[in-house]
Amino acid sequence: MTTTVAGPTRRLMEGSEAIALASIAAGCRFFAGYPMTPFTEVLEHFARCLPEVGGTCINAESELEAVGMTWGALATGARAATGSTGQGLSLMQESFAEISLAELPLVIFNLARNQGDYFQATRGGGHGDYRHVVLAPLDITETVELTQLAFHLADQWRNPVLVYGDYLTAHVQESVTIEPINFGSVPAKDWAVDGSRTGTGDARLLSPLGIAKVGTEPVGIEAHLRRMTAKQAEIQRRETRVETGFVDDAETVVVAFGSPARFVRAAVRELRATGERIGYVRPITLWPFPSDAVAAAADGVRTVATFELCAGQMIDDVRLAVLGRAPVVGIGGISTDGSGFGVGQLLDVERVRERILAVHRGGPDAELPALPDNERALW
Amino acid sequence: MSDDTSTATLSRKDFQSDQEIRWCPGCGDYSILAAVQLLLPDLGVKPENLVFVSGIGCAARFPYYMNVYGLHGIHGRAPAIATGVALARPDLDVWVIGGDGDMFSIGGNHLIHALRRNVNLTILMFNNQIYGLTKGQYSPTSEVGKVTKSSPFGSLDTPFNPISVTLGAEATFVARTHDLDRKHMVETFRRAHDHHGAAFVEVYQNCNVFNDGAFGAITNKEHRAEMLIELHDGEPIRFGADAELGVALNRFGECEIVTVADVGVDRLLVHDEHRGDPTLAFALSRLADRPTMPTPIGVFRDVARPTYEGEVQRQLVGAADRQGPGDLEALVGSGATWTVD
Ligand code: SF4
Repeated sequence: MTTTVAGPTRRLMEGSEAIALASIAAGCRFFAGYPMTPFTEVLEHFARCLPEVGGTCINAESELEAVGMTWGALATGARAATGSTGQGLSLMQESFAEISLAELPLVIFNLARNQGDYFQATRGGGHGDYRHVVLAPLDITETVELTQLAFHLADQWRNPVLVYGDYLTAHVQESVTIEPINFGSVPAKDWAVDGSRTGTGDARLLSPLGIAKVGTEPVGIEAHLRRMTAKQAEIQRRETRVETGFVDDAETVVVAFGSPARFVRAAVRELRATGERIGYVRPITLWPFPSDAVAAAADGVRTVATFELCAGQMIDDVRLAVLGRAPVVGIGGISTDGSGFGVGQLLDVERVRERILAVHRGGPDAELPALPDNERALW
Repeated sequence: MSDDTSTATLSRKDFQSDQEIRWCPGCGDYSILAAVQLLLPDLGVKPENLVFVSGIGCAARFPYYMNVYGLHGIHGRAPAIATGVALARPDLDVWVIGGDGDMFSIGGNHLIHALRRNVNLTILMFNNQIYGLTKGQYSPTSEVGKVTKSSPFGSLDTPFNPISVTLGAEATFVARTHDLDRKHMVETFRRAHDHHGAAFVEVYQNCNVFNDGAFGAITNKEHRAEMLIELHDGEPIRFGADAELGVALNRFGECEIVTVADVGVDRLLVHDEHRGDPTLAFALSRLADRPTMPTPIGVFRDVARPTYEGEVQRQLVGAADRQGPGDLEALVGSGATWTVD
């Protein structure tokens, strides 16, 4: 049955489809990727949907080719994206680094197998001094928003933006509407290799080396790299996004991002309802990391706990932000399904609540409940 | 500034950039650059519609020296990047420049896939059989036994024959030329550019610093008549100062060099660039193992197949036909929906 209500259609859809449709809403007209679980369906939804709006989606020969093709499409001024899981993004890192230096507005989706790609996402991941803006959506509704924001920020800063989701982002179904969101204007793409201007005397060259051609003063590599650094400092100043809850009088603060933060938030809310003075901080941008918000939340607390679905990587950034104001302890851990691609039994509000309560009562040295095991391996 | 560049008045120097050229004096790359810059005014393409894409290597500096749009990428990935440009903007005239290292080692995969897809690209591969930019290590086209700083006891690797590889990769246009014959280069590049789809040209290029004279045995003026077999479509394949030599097929279907007086003109292989089956072109590519024996140059294969961009566009039209002009609301509403009362 088709809806007849006026206004945008609200429909139940999995995150993978929401990513493709939100990208299209943001004007993305080119996508290239290579299948890998749990990212594959993002590629398939793009392949189905992009031709309907005159766009192109290519199932490339490899992640290396996918990011290369996207690089070329970006160079023409198109809004374009690629993606994979962290494993595939490892392959793309060389291109990411050079695309960053060439100042092209790449959007990347990581539908990761866990949260252990945090360093890969936030440290650049490849060679050289660059960072990607990293957005970590909580749920599918936020995925729709942050996907569109990613294209906006990429254009605004001429810098890659990575959307870091996971198995749940890819496959949980939620009821969402998808409409173009207006984030304001972005600079004109007067650098694009798009045949739009008179060529002679105005030859454009897109190069990671900061070398100009014909009639423009060559920047030089050193000056170019310093300019990149200044730009990153500016992004850090302007683009930090964070959600906090109940931190003002908290004795324990839990920091978590992405889908697991949804479980943490639910557990903290339940504990608050029973009078426990616990708060949470949810970084929405992993880079720039909301250090100020974390530091402010950590002031005067007994314990800062991080909940990550991996051995613990964001905890380093939390420690750097907290700077000794309070002990920082990791209460998450490795927990996968039998295939290793999906989330494990740790991601359960009751289990998360137990662990939060353990540090809340026992402090940083509290013994945590054992990590739940998978019943069986699927291999 | 006008939005339209007239192409009628363009000359070679309109395509030259003001960047200081960083190739070694005497490098074969200079004459290839000159040949391209001589050809471009003839093609009637606006400079701003030309995009030269490169990876890393001596050859990959090429876009810096051209007063057209350029993209400098990373080692090996130029064919992939160029494919993205061509798909996003099928109206642009996209060239890919790279060396034997860029295109046959690290980028081999991207090259063969761009060829099989028949993306509308003009691909020039400068083969100098060495890594020049990193100062002389053996490449995938270096001969077995090549002693370099990274192969002090001689290379053990069987080299690629770029013409054979690209024919095997379903390329629709495959040609070879060399840096000492500007006229032949210009004509070969023109043919490659005119081809609809992926056109691959191997250019024998002398690296006078790290592999000097690699092609001297066949490309030096005094050897050319005996050592270069110029291919001409529709003509029996002959060479030699007095066209006394020719190419014929043996009973296994392999090409061999024959003396015309011994076998007669009728036994000579008549070159046919447009044969759909690449077998004969492949046999020709096997005539010379190394550039020390009589070597065919010119166009090996030029066949018509729909371009990738064209096919992609056709699918777009098809998609629109199926469901009307696509819009986001239609896409969102295309799954199972229901009304809430
Ligand atoms: S190293 Fe060789 S190929 Fe490179 S510029 Fe010098 S001569 Fe030319």
